[in-house]
Amino acid sequence: MNLKQFYRLLLFIVLIPILSSCFEVIEEIAMKNDGTGDVVLTINLSQSKTKVASVMLLDSVQGYKVPSKQKIQQELNEAVAYLRKSEGISNVKSTSDFNNYIATISFSFKDVSNINNITKNILAQQKIKATNTSSYSYNKATKTFSRKYQATGTAKTEFNKLKAKDKAVFNGATYTSIYRFESVVTSSTNPASNVSKSKKAVMLKSSIMDLINGKINVSNSIQLSK
Amino acid sequence: MKKILIAISLFLSFNLAQAQDLVKKIPSNAFTVATIKGDNVFKLMFVKDFNESFLGKKLLTETSKSLDKSFTSIEDFGINLEKNMYYFNQLSDSITYNCFLIPIKDVTKFESLINNKENKFKKDGDVRTMILPDSTSIIKWNNNMMYFVTGSISSAFFADSAKSARYGIKDIRFQNDDAIANDSTAVAVDSVAVEETMAEAVPAPPVAKVNVQKKSTVKKNTKKTTSKKKKALKKKIPLKPQYQRDNDVVATVDDASIDTASAMTPVHGIVDEQYDAYQQERLEQDAKKKRLAFTWMTAQADQIFNGTYESIENNKSYTASLDNKAIAELWVSSLQDVYSAISPEFGAYGKAGLMKGYGSLNAKLFMDDKSFRISTGLELSQEQADSYKKIMNRKLNKNFLKYVNSEKALGFMSYSIDTKAYLEEFPKLLKQTYGSILGGKMDEEIELGSDLFSLLLDEEAVSKVIKGDALFVINGLNTKDVTYTTYEYDDDYKQKEIVKTKKETLPDFLFMFSSEDNRLINKLIKYGVNKNYVSVENNIYKILEKKSPIDIYFMIKDGIVFFGNSLTEMQGISNNQYNSNKLSKLHKQLLSKNNFSFLFNAKNLVGKVPDSEIGGEETAKKFNSTLEKMGNVYMKSNPIKGRLVSADISAEIPNGHENALKYLFSLIENAAK
Repeated sequence: MNLKQFYRLLLFIVLIPILSSCFEVIEEIAMKNDGTGDVVLTINLSQSKTKVASVMLLDSVQGYKVPSKQKIQQELNEAVAYLRKSEGISNVKSTSDFNNYIATISFSFKDVSNINNITKNILAQQKIKATNTSSYSYNKATKTFSRKYQATGTAKTEFNKLKAKDKAVFNGATYTSIYRFESVVTSSTNPASNVSKSKKAVMLKSSIMDLINGKINVSNSIQLSK
Repeated sequence: MKKILIAISLFLSFNLAQAQDLVKKIPSNAFTVATIKGDNVFKLMFVKDFNESFLGKKLLTETSKSLDKSFTSIEDFGINLEKNMYYFNQLSDSITYNCFLIPIKDVTKFESLINNKENKFKKDGDVRTMILPDSTSIIKWNNNMMYFVTGSISSAFFADSAKSARYGIKDIRFQNDDAIANDSTAVAVDSVAVEETMAEAVPAPPVAKVNVQKKSTVKKNTKKTTSKKKKALKKKIPLKPQYQRDNDVVATVDDASIDTASAMTPVHGIVDEQYDAYQQERLEQDAKKKRLAFTWMTAQADQIFNGTYESIENNKSYTASLDNKAIAELWVSSLQDVYSAISPEFGAYGKAGLMKGYGSLNAKLFMDDKSFRISTGLELSQEQADSYKKIMNRKLNKNFLKYVNSEKALGFMSYSIDTKAYLEEFPKLLKQTYGSILGGKMDEEIELGSDLFSLLLDEEAVSKVIKGDALFVINGLNTKDVTYTTYEYDDDYKQKEIVKTKKETLPDFLFMFSSEDNRLINKLIKYGVNKNYVSVENNIYKILEKKSPIDIYFMIKDGIVFFGNSLTEMQGISNNQYNSNKLSKLHKQLLSKNNFSFLFNAKNLVGKVPDSEIGGEETAKKFNSTLEKMGNVYMKSNPIKGRLVSADISAEIPNGHENALKYLFSLIENAAK
């Protein structure tokens, strides 16, 4: 047994308390009245950094191959390159912090509908089937922002196929969406969403498990004051 | 048929017996013998308790239902529960027999169990025989015992045209094409002849005797014989088991027809027709093989009932493997023999002795008021055993024991070998294991390699740096604060990055090995320090690896090299303040008496891991309750006795249970709820 193997054995022992981990996915959209805006997507694994750091030292965990730091960076770069080519998208930036395991992608759009297919296509590029249909629209005339979201049944069935151990990974994970506007929000149809004190932002927080299981729907229609 | 099989297999999953009995009926050349000792089983659990247990009830109601009868006790099956039940198998290159020997107490009850409208049995004096539909198995019994045999023909054997021709069976391949058509008539005629002959004079089941003197080469005879019938007659072998290896029989084979056949090229166009013919032929040949298997099985069963032969009781390896306290036993004869008998296809490798040096294998299951224990053993050749004895001639450094805290330890693993002996014996062992694969041609190269190895390595010097004993112990869990980044949102839902802390539970491990000569290690450390791989404070070194999620410290003290992730523990060791003297008797024995030991003490883990880290309260509850029910689980190697290496795995049962068997039943009951 060489030192590296020994080290890996050690990590396995350290990892004993199952791979339940916490991570956050945050989607932030700032809409301007003219229909243009900015998006910031964040994935934050910082709460689980000990485990992630341990996993990163392994080749594979629970039967899944663990990507290297280089591979993750490369995929992030590919996503950025793809975004730059996409219609209506500009000002694409990404950050990655491998000490705290936080990655972000930010960009500006001409029209919010520009982003509708982006996630799906990025996932498709990585050969991951999109598990939901989600679309944004903004009607300048009526000043209505809406998000239509439909969890496809496959997400749940695919998820249920996972082993209990693998499912546990999603246990503490959360999804947060924040929509920010220049005008005051008069109504937000999703009961799970909250309107900020300033009335210019809407936030929805949910656990990823609820999203997958369809317990929570993130569809919303937000009416802005005219 | 199915019901009977189910019933039989169900009986076998529990069971019964005593040493002097049916073992006599097992031939000395059996390859595997499995025993369930009824008396030992029912000492742990009365028949009445069994009937009332969840499993017992299930067995009784299911059997009652499927046989449309009403059973209230397993004694109703007519089986003698106080005696041993056996499974054994016999292997040869042409057929494998799987056999069960079950003691009978009440033959009327037993018959009512297996008798039904479709299956009538024949009675011949005291002995009753039932042939199961499809003729794949035979059940034979008298007032004292039941014998079940099922045989399967080895396809590899009949793929050898020379051998199969002796039984009037042809190995056919589709490519044979028109040859089939031509030949099939001949074969048909031929097969009748063969069957007749065989009906009259049943060849003894060709079971390979383990120690049979193998005649080295099969006589290849390309001469054409005139009559196949003559050949078949020639095969008359007396009923007395002769354990003929068919190599011994001079096979005068009519290879010619087959050879010509395969040499012919297929004529296209009539392929479909030929394929049908081929299928037809194939079915016929398969039926023939089945009839042959049945004939052999019948002879084998008769032999068991009426014949006289040497019993396995005379096999020293088998008798030595027995233990009268075990509740179940398994014995497998020499691995080398198994290897060459099961896979004659591997030919050269098997026979040249790939598994050379490995003898029989045995496993025993014990259950008592404290634990389950499985003991396994493997016989080695004298040479190998001697090598291992030299290698194992080391005890764990006694000073290691100070660093195990039995009250907190979650587990440990230790091993001790003599590095010097290992390095010296290693080339020999390598040669023994792989020499035969490489064949005689490589002998010189292997020799050269071994010498080179010894020349390059100064075994003595290496063994001073790493003596060969090591201990890995997890002395409990430790909680430490870990910071992480998350977000806060103001009234305007503006994101603000904040740093929070949370508690994380990590096991504290300690790894140590003995080293007499620290010069090399010290040089390595010096190099590490110079290159900034390692930092040092009060003789405790820290590995500077940014990627590592845990801190790793190491130090050298009193001829022991320590590694660990707890600075407090390391400092304690360094200042001679490590709180020892908390070693339990069991742990002490395991560590100091064995070359290898492993222990996992689940109880010390109960409630130590915060719920949030296991994945919620519910999961944590399940996790903890499972752990609570587990006693110590441990493994150890035993000293080599003679040529036998052995190891034990034990699992203690929790308090409040009468014995391991009852505990097992309660576990099954809980799981089924």
